[in-house]
Amino acid sequence: MERMFERDKDDLRNLGIRIEVRGLDPLFEDDQGYLIDSDTHQISPDNFSKEDILLLTMAANLWHGSALQQDSKAALLKIQSLDGLVATNTVTSPVVEDNEDSKKLLLIFDAVERAISLEFEYKGTIRQVKPYGIYTRRGFWYLAAQEKEVVKSFKVVRIGQQIKAISKAHGFVKSPEFKLPTFIGDMNAPSTSKAEIRIRKNQALALRKRYEVIEVDAEWDKVFIDYNFEEDLIESLLWYGSNLVVISPKTIRDQIITRVKGLVHV
Amino acid sequence: MSDTAAVRALRTMDLIPYILEHPGISINQLSKNFAVTEKEIEKDLQLAFMCGLPGYTPYELIDLTYEDGVVSIIDPQVLNKPRSFSSNERVVIALGLEILKNINSSNDDNLKKIENLSKKFMDEESGDSVMIVEQNLTFPFLNIINQAVFETRVIVFDYQSISKDVLSNRKVAPYKLFLQNGNLYLSGYDYHAQSDRIFKADQIVNCAIGGQANLGQANSPQKEETVELIVDLKAVNFIERNSTIIIDQKMRNGQLHVKLKVSNFDWLKRAILSNAPSIKVISPQSLASEVEQMASDLISAYSGLSKNVG
Repeated sequence: MERMFERDKDDLRNLGIRIEVRGLDPLFEDDQGYLIDSDTHQISPDNFSKEDILLLTMAANLWHGSALQQDSKAALLKIQSLDGLVATNTVTSPVVEDNEDSKKLLLIFDAVERAISLEFEYKGTIRQVKPYGIYTRRGFWYLAAQEKEVVKSFKVVRIGQQIKAISKAHGFVKSPEFKLPTFIGDMNAPSTSKAEIRIRKNQALALRKRYEVIEVDAEWDKVFIDYNFEEDLIESLLWYGSNLVVISPKTIRDQIITRVKGLVHV
Repeated sequence: MSDTAAVRALRTMDLIPYILEHPGISINQLSKNFAVTEKEIEKDLQLAFMCGLPGYTPYELIDLTYEDGVVSIIDPQVLNKPRSFSSNERVVIALGLEILKNINSSNDDNLKKIENLSKKFMDEESGDSVMIVEQNLTFPFLNIINQAVFETRVIVFDYQSISKDVLSNRKVAPYKLFLQNGNLYLSGYDYHAQSDRIFKADQIVNCAIGGQANLGQANSPQKEETVELIVDLKAVNFIERNSTIIIDQKMRNGQLHVKLKVSNFDWLKRAILSNAPSIKVISPQSLASEVEQMASDLISAYSGLSKNVG
């Protein structure tokens, strides 16, 4: 019985609940008892307005279609315990429909939050990193992490399923020079190149919305597109097929023609 | 296997503040919300009856009423507030708030509220260092669509289809908004197409709420066909981005042989062209021919225009 009691106490402690042992009866100081101080494990509803609770509900609801569904449901029950009326009357909000990446994301995000070093397989090799931050680019999640002395980006979808914590919480100190916005900013450096494109009349409507369109003749219009990465530009321009032609730079124009010729004799 | 005492204790600690905020809730509903059997809930409530503060007289015990399958709390003692969020729950909410910030970035009012909450919710230290959702998810029609889903009404909007490259007016009974691969989408029943459709949210313009939706024809999925492709590893992004529709993939001679279920062939043709020459169509033959035709047209456009420009 005592062993079971000890085990249950350990369970509670592992779940983050602080159990104190102290005298509980002022008249019998020798009588020791167990106490969980409510302030150490309860959310104070006073910290959140009705509007906050609505937003918390929407934030938790986002994950209902994902691998994080279980955690979002548990969070939602607690939010609904702050103000049942607000949370229950919440209208629908978007949901994340994701694959197992959400699970990886959760582990990685937690490691970033609590400064836990990680080990995982990436591009066929085992990597040990200090996770600094996570960000998204063109629909993919990336981990910014220090490997040896260099901060690199790791595409989350390419990180192996087995992610291992290799340090305790607060196991490293993030380099004070590292700032995620700067790190991302350096990668998304201001556009340095410009491409001249011809667009067929009344075509490539999504592209027309984003750039200033200059009329050329009865069949074609012209736009100038700033770009950082040739690969990204080529992929996005090929989407429009024969309704779009690159005039310059010649390197991109030639690459497009060469690549597309590869599809003709299949 | 029955729950450990700790699991039961924790559930009971969650149940009391929850019932306090939902007085008169049925045992049946509680069992659904907490994902356990009605019997488990009843056992938890019996446990709660016997819990309280030192002294342990009826005045210090948790008090509740349980009659005709519904329950209310009379005195929760100290269990009047929910337990703190676990680290996983905090992460889920923090990530969710970041996404909400992006969706609401065109609405200054909402954005400010979410930012303030985010600061309050996250630790001072972690708040500024953790993450940035870089892509633009701004969606000005969030409230309209939420209202339409909630009230089962239709929405009418202009849609700029990027796979067909046409602008058209749509009348849709919306099902839900969802995020996939960093993009926000709307799913719903399209009255003109007479089947379910998925719309990329950033291509929706002039959205307005309409009359009551008739969901009699709802859940009419688009017809899907199996497509077989050979994908070079250079186009691995294509595989990663579309993992949800891939039904089979095998590596042969350094190339991926992939089978996928596709309903939108306009999209697939453009995606293949975008990744040229790294994706080849094995079947159906009609798709292979159409892609080849698109490639030929593109080459003709280049040679035609080079003469004019040159």
